[in-house]
Amino acid sequence: MQIYNDYKDHADFLTIYIREAHPTDEWRMNSNEKGKDNVCYAQPKSISDRVAIANDFTKRFKYPVPFGIDEMSNAANDAYAAWPERLYIIDENGRVSYKGGNGPFKYDPKEVRAWLAKRYGEVKHPAPAPAAPASTEKKS
Amino acid sequence: MPTALKWMLFSLAVVLLGAFAFLSWMAGSPKDVYYMVRYAFPHMHTGNLKAGDQAPDAQLVALDGSATFRIREKTAGRPLVLVFGSFT
Repeated sequence: MQIYNDYKDHADFLTIYIREAHPTDEWRMNSNEKGKDNVCYAQPKSISDRVAIANDFTKRFKYPVPFGIDEMSNAANDAYAAWPERLYIIDENGRVSYKGGNGPFKYDPKEVRAWLAKRYGEVKHPAPAPAAPASTEKKS
Repeated sequence: MPTALKWMLFSLAVVLLGAFAFLSWMAGSPKDVYYMVRYAFPHMHTGNLKAGDQAPDAQLVALDGSATFRIREKTAGRPLVLVFGSFT
């Protein structure tokens, strides 16, 4: 989301929601369970299932990036070999300029930032202020 | 059984065990190896797209569940960053 905020005045962004990577009825992950990340969904069987999960996601994270949902034919996913996650940059002429590695291990948003920075300049953020030390004064 | 064959079978067993151990580490546990092979491998593809190719088009559904639009409609004279993923 930080990359979106930094470069939305120069480039367009589109998040495309595709088939689930770790649904409860397939390769479920312990980290998704209730009490941890609480992301428990079965693999959507209809477009309304996908729409519901997509809306849960955008509401939970107040996700500002423009959003689209792949149809149940998985046309976008198949065309871009996207599953489970992948980044692309399409240039002004409609051609693929950057094709990211396939997630989880090769998915690297820093490469997208580097592409945008090379064209539009780097956007730096101040380092977060260090946390104030705990007071050692005795309470009277 | 000839000694050479015994050593070949032993080497094969070691390689298979090593591969299983590596996959277990990568997937998270031995149980996850099964799930990875069963549910992940069939869907993970490199794809044929490469830099310079015309970006494919596809129809998408909007968050309201009824409106649709195409990826190409979002390429309006500026670079377009596509972020593919899911919630889980």
